[in-house]
Amino acid sequence: MIRVGDTMIPMARTVAFTLDGQPASAPEGELLVHAAARHGVFIPTLCHDDKLEPYGGCRMCVVGVEGSPRPLPACATRVAEGMVVSTDSSVPQYQRTLTEMLLAEHLNPDPGGRPNELVDLAEELAAEAPFILPDAKREPYDDRNRFMGYDPDACILCNRCVRYTQEVMQCSALSLEGRGPHARIVPTHGYSWLDTECELCGGCLSACPTGAIYEKFEEGTERPERTLEKVKSTCTFCGVGCQIDLNVDPETQRIVKVTSEPHYVSNEGNLCVKGRFAFNFVHHPDRLTEPLVRGEDGELHPTTWEHAFRVAAEGLLRVKEEHGPQAIGVLSSARLTMEENFLIQKLARTALGTNSVHSCEAT
Amino acid sequence: MGRGATTNSIPEIENARFILVIGSNTTEAHPVLALRMKKAARNGATLVVADPRKIWLTKLAKRHLQLRPGSDVWLLNAIMHVILREGLQDDAYIAEHTEDFDAVAEVVARYTPEEAEQVTGVPAADIVATAREYARERYAAIFYTLGITEHACAVDNIWSLSNLVLMTGHLGYESTGLNALRGQNNVQGLNDAGANPSYLPGYQPLEDPELRRKFGERWGVEVPETPGYRLDQMMSGLHDGRIKALYLIGENPVQTEPNAHHVEEGMEGLDFVVAQDLFLNDSNRRYADVIFPASSFAEKEGTFTNTERRVNRVRKAVPCPGNAREDLRIVVDMAKALGADWPDYRTPEDAWNEFADLAPLWSGIRYDRIEEVGLQWPCTDRDHPGSPYLHAPHPSRPSGKGKFYPVEYQPPIEQPDSEYPFVLSTGRTLYHYNSATMTMREEGVVQKQEDPFVEMHPEDARALGVAEGDWVRLVSRRGELEARAKLGDRVYPGLVWMALHFAEAKVNWLTHDVGDPLIGTPEYKTSAVRVERVGGAIRPAAR
Ligand code: SF4
Ligand code: SF4
Ligand code: SF4
Ligand code: FES
Repeated sequence: MIRVGDTMIPMARTVAFTLDGQPASAPEGELLVHAAARHGVFIPTLCHDDKLEPYGGCRMCVVGVEGSPRPLPACATRVAEGMVVSTDSSVPQYQRTLTEMLLAEHLNPDPGGRPNELVDLAEELAAEAPFILPDAKREPYDDRNRFMGYDPDACILCNRCVRYTQEVMQCSALSLEGRGPHARIVPTHGYSWLDTECELCGGCLSACPTGAIYEKFEEGTERPERTLEKVKSTCTFCGVGCQIDLNVDPETQRIVKVTSEPHYVSNEGNLCVKGRFAFNFVHHPDRLTEPLVRGEDGELHPTTWEHAFRVAAEGLLRVKEEHGPQAIGVLSSARLTMEENFLIQKLARTALGTNSVHSCEAT
Repeated sequence: MGRGATTNSIPEIENARFILVIGSNTTEAHPVLALRMKKAARNGATLVVADPRKIWLTKLAKRHLQLRPGSDVWLLNAIMHVILREGLQDDAYIAEHTEDFDAVAEVVARYTPEEAEQVTGVPAADIVATAREYARERYAAIFYTLGITEHACAVDNIWSLSNLVLMTGHLGYESTGLNALRGQNNVQGLNDAGANPSYLPGYQPLEDPELRRKFGERWGVEVPETPGYRLDQMMSGLHDGRIKALYLIGENPVQTEPNAHHVEEGMEGLDFVVAQDLFLNDSNRRYADVIFPASSFAEKEGTFTNTERRVNRVRKAVPCPGNAREDLRIVVDMAKALGADWPDYRTPEDAWNEFADLAPLWSGIRYDRIEEVGLQWPCTDRDHPGSPYLHAPHPSRPSGKGKFYPVEYQPPIEQPDSEYPFVLSTGRTLYHYNSATMTMREEGVVQKQEDPFVEMHPEDARALGVAEGDWVRLVSRRGELEARAKLGDRVYPGLVWMALHFAEAKVNWLTHDVGDPLIGTPEYKTSAVRVERVGGAIRPAAR
């Protein structure tokens, strides 16, 4: 059974169709772009996003379908019995021209150093901007939020960001404003995400294929030119356990941004404001960097690890001797890993001799 | 129904056809999981929200059951009353897979929807409609979180929900079940690992001498038999002298515990405190004798277990700052300093393997299997694929039968009166994480939400002469604090709501610590308070 809208329908039957002259088959109703990919024919897409409903806005993925007067977008056309599809004849030329037209309006290919699908595509198709449209420059606005920026000169108006807000977040924070050469994406009320119902999840940013919506970097630091190293990990902020990639600048050894991939289970590449943006605590100057021991003066003083362990052990063992092991309580934390918690309870039970180990966050 | 975990998996949510969200502000507490609920609703699922406040999800909900705080048991019993009255229960499931049904049938017979309306404030017709929809839909899932567990009657609430699930047989297959959403990133793992006074790792009861012997053999030390103190018992032990020393690892009880002034007094009386943390906080700065600088999640290897029981890898991306160290190293060296004869635990994997060897439900989960995708326990051997949902084909209790527990309504311990006329309810917001020592350091987050605020209904505000953004003082029998009024109909008249996060206005100064007698969860959720107007829009001088 698969679900379509409100109803459960029996598993789709397999239908036969023709792809570039070759016989092919697919479950009925599968999107052409997916069916073709399974047969080794990769159709470039731009406005399409698997997380979103079929849209068919940019026409980058058009293919010829026998019987149709116009080429059809493969990202929004479903396979049917006997369909005859061609991607070979005039399609590549069409795609190159379309790419060139987009490039002509695309003045800034790299506002925030995010991957740019349009630029990749241009490279693949050997497309170059034939000229720069004189009125291509669109009015930017300065958003005061600290996390995200938008550069209209990189935007190709594919609407993926707006569709993400509507379909996934189901918020109305972003909209398309204006027409023609002046069109741009704006926060729905005023010119800051902060003035909308936006929750700063960065989902629109992750949906953007060109990097027109980009991460702002920490004040005072430049976006590193170097390639970032991705380290796959798990978000530390709630029990959903979103899978994330910590993007680290290898030179400074700092986390520069957090991303996620659509194939990661549980979160499918979606994140919330905490997982995506709240990582700077890791590098905060307030972090404790030295062991501290309280002196005779009642103040905390930096010391060596060796000394700190000795003072800690003596203190705990003295209490154990005078009052018994039940007089010592151990409070562990849900922020720590499983392995650390396992050893902490083992420490309580074996080294201190008490079962009093619990946490403030037992729920 | 046994273990505190979600019965079902996150990806299954989007295929549910009926979703009841009770006492969970999911879009704020579990934002990405809430995306699946939004998707389900978009696909036509019926969403019902039961919450004293209008939360974001009520926008998508077919129905909002705006119940009075603490009246969950009444509401749930009335839903069951309707199900039984109309014969919508799953008789085959009840007969085959449950026990003690009659006891519950007898109790809920007295909880009519009409009377429920008086107690809970939820219209009887809404209760009837919800009962019918839930009972008739096969893919019906329930989600709850701290909203329902942080009451003095926490266990009652969970039993009520479990009764409801058992009576309809909504258990043991995909897109259904009873799903407790875990708050913090690794609460599940913390409990699984045995950081618990009455369970050894893997929920193996300490009281069982066989199990103690098993662990003792592996560890080369006898496991003490005396049960340990729960958190609330440790906190009261601060005052009666039972507790003389604390080892606090990433914890800040002065902020996160209810009745915080009382905790502060207790901490002063301790002989010795060792703390291990990323930052100074109110607990360690004032009371610790030794502080170990510890590691953030980005500075170490290991695993977190999420709310769907999935063991996910955590990986080291950057080094610890300065002389800070990985927590695992600190704990191992601390154990050695205490004279324990431990293996070296060169890597966290060594610790994991020891755990998985000792805990049968995890024994099939090993690091090499979770490199790419985490596995969900139970996973009992290397070929076991993990468990997306629990209680299949029958409830996982030793008897194989789910047990009904009749539950009677008990009013919240502290009721509003003429002196303290408002009900104060508390919770979390999207932008912060518990005591906010991490998120308050994120400029972009502070931008979105900075001053402590209290939500109140415009009618109440008018009566008090309070305008939007004015500073007000909240006074309870235990303390007082100041916050900015945020007016709106998210709360109903007579209810005020505040978040837990703010260091300068600790809402736990107001709440009380009469916990659930069984699991010791403090009653954060309801206290009686008085609201006073102070200085209008001008922030009162710090005191
Ligand atoms: S950041 Fe998230 S909430 Fe804000 S506009 Fe983008 S998708 Fe919507
Ligand atoms: S901002 Fe990005 S996603 Fe949005 S319309 Fe422009 S290019 Fe597309
Ligand atoms: S990204 Fe957000 S929803 Fe996901 S685990 Fe982190 S805090 Fe939770
Ligand atoms: S990708 Fe198919 S129309 Fe844009």
